[in-house]
Amino acid sequence: MTGWEAVMNRTRILIVDDELIMRESLGGWLERDGHRVDKASSGEEALDKMKDVRYDILLVDIKMEGMNGLDLLKIVKENDPDAAVVMITAYGSIPSSIEAMKRGASDYLLKPFDPNELGVIIEKILESQARQKEIQYLKDQHKERTQFESMIGQSAAMRKIFDLIADAAPMESTVLITGETGTGKGLAAKAIHSNSPRLDGPFVTVNCGSIPEHLMESELFGYQKGAFTDAKENKKGRLELAHRGSIFLDEIGEVGMRMQIDLLRVLEDHILYRVGGTQPIEVDFRVIAATNRNLEEAIREGAFREDLFYRLNVISFEMPPLRERKEDIPLLADHFLQRFVRETNKPVEKIGRDALDELMLHEWPGNIRELENAIERAVVVCKGKQIKAEDLPIYRPVQAAPLPGDSLQDIEKAHISRILNENEWNIARCAGVLGIDRSTLYNKIKKYEIQKPL
Amino acid sequence: MTTEPGYTLIVSPVGEFESGLVDTICAEISLIFGYPVQTASLIEDLEFAYDSGRDQYHSTPILEKLAESAPPDAIKVIGITSRDLFIPILTHVYGEAQLGGKACIVSTFRLDEGVSKAVRRDIFTGRAAKEAIHELGHTFKLLHCKDKRCIMHYCREIRDVDRKSDDLCRYCKVLLDDEIKRLAKTHARN
Repeated sequence: MTGWEAVMNRTRILIVDDELIMRESLGGWLERDGHRVDKASSGEEALDKMKDVRYDILLVDIKMEGMNGLDLLKIVKENDPDAAVVMITAYGSIPSSIEAMKRGASDYLLKPFDPNELGVIIEKILESQARQKEIQYLKDQHKERTQFESMIGQSAAMRKIFDLIADAAPMESTVLITGETGTGKGLAAKAIHSNSPRLDGPFVTVNCGSIPEHLMESELFGYQKGAFTDAKENKKGRLELAHRGSIFLDEIGEVGMRMQIDLLRVLEDHILYRVGGTQPIEVDFRVIAATNRNLEEAIREGAFREDLFYRLNVISFEMPPLRERKEDIPLLADHFLQRFVRETNKPVEKIGRDALDELMLHEWPGNIRELENAIERAVVVCKGKQIKAEDLPIYRPVQAAPLPGDSLQDIEKAHISRILNENEWNIARCAGVLGIDRSTLYNKIKKYEIQKPL
Repeated sequence: MTTEPGYTLIVSPVGEFESGLVDTICAEISLIFGYPVQTASLIEDLEFAYDSGRDQYHSTPILEKLAESAPPDAIKVIGITSRDLFIPILTHVYGEAQLGGKACIVSTFRLDEGVSKAVRRDIFTGRAAKEAIHELGHTFKLLHCKDKRCIMHYCREIRDVDRKSDDLCRYCKVLLDDEIKRLAKTHARN
């Protein structure tokens, strides 16, 4: 497993059953239904797979040698409460299924089951998970704010980026920005727009990863009154709103196959149709796209269209991670300090020497977003005029347990463990502090086998 | 849709069928997939796949046998049977396909639900043709489609099969075209 979500926007399902024939027949059916399926022959193997991959749904046989389905259910629910677990059972095990429902299973199926029954259960789970994603999307939209801080920097790496932006901005070509989460890809996109002849036009952002799939089409293309039940009036989509400006397609690697087909068409001829509309609408926009995924690998795995990739990848560059531009940390940290001091009215004046040392030593897996969150927290907890090392969420006292190792992974594991413990394993809060999304955090917890203290 | 010259789709009926059924299926799949279609009897009977405990036929080994028996110029092969098919985890299936593979099969056993074959032969035949296209679509890597009108839509009830069209939606058409082009490239390399 590469860790890469091979087929984006497809539900990931893990089948756990000790009978090969059951795994194979169920797996084949689910794959034809469009899901990404992995199989495990035991609870132990399932947990092993879950270290690398986050599954949306687990189909678990109750009766298995070794760890049984109920034990597996308990561990899954402790580590990833959002994962749906459906128990598979024979007639003799119905009481165990009822017990499983009490312990948080989403449903159970008596084998052999009717394909319709399976279809209904999967659909019900997916609808519920889509609703959760929609709520999260609306929350994210609400708190979306424009920030320019990530573009601060005097390092050689950032100077190179500024040059690239200056060269790319005046052109009409599509730009593809790559780089880790939190490196400021959105700000680079905004900078390209702001330095382009389209400066006076709109800069419209679409976060392809956070828009639920069922909303994506109407978000991008708009809709005509009456196209669907809630379409009470005509609405312009974001592509249309970007007319004479730029459209920033963030997390383009998360776009599903159908939308890739639609996007390619509109990028090629700049003509779109609103959902439910028959009138072609000509739109003039420049596309800037960004991703933290390896799109070439996605193409090889059949998850991203090659023609769309070449359409996007006309000019491309990578935003450097913060650990490769550490000389910018003092400048960025001071900038964030000034902002949060203004926002909180606290009499904090500076970042102390020991705190700055901590900032410089840290590897910042969540990049600038993580640094920003660290400074925000430090300003809030700071008691004096100067931020001390212990005010920082990344602070690790000398007397703490010895470091598990020097590799980046060791440091990341230790850091995530500490943030989790400090925040009582509140996943949403921890994800915020770390500057990563919840599913990334779940994946890392599994990958590093971080256990919640009893 | 440009298909490769020299390759054909093989329709392999197992057993006897109502007159016109196989011909209709051949005509419909040729229209959708663009390849010439030939009928050939690749399997004599399905007894090797019979499960006496369930009184049904396990579709997966049938697919394996169909794939093994396919002639070299067969791009894909589809079996047609009037027997009731199953896969072990499910009570029954209307058909099964090797996703992106060589073979698929469709069963007409449950397709007369709610209609009299004698009176509404057109509905029964239409269902069989749609299911055949659907299963063949899987062998060209097409997955179930959300569009209820698309032939790749998975229908919960047989009535929904009647409601869906006998064509692919525009997305599935693009994906089928991609796969046909990919197959042509692969064959050219070999």
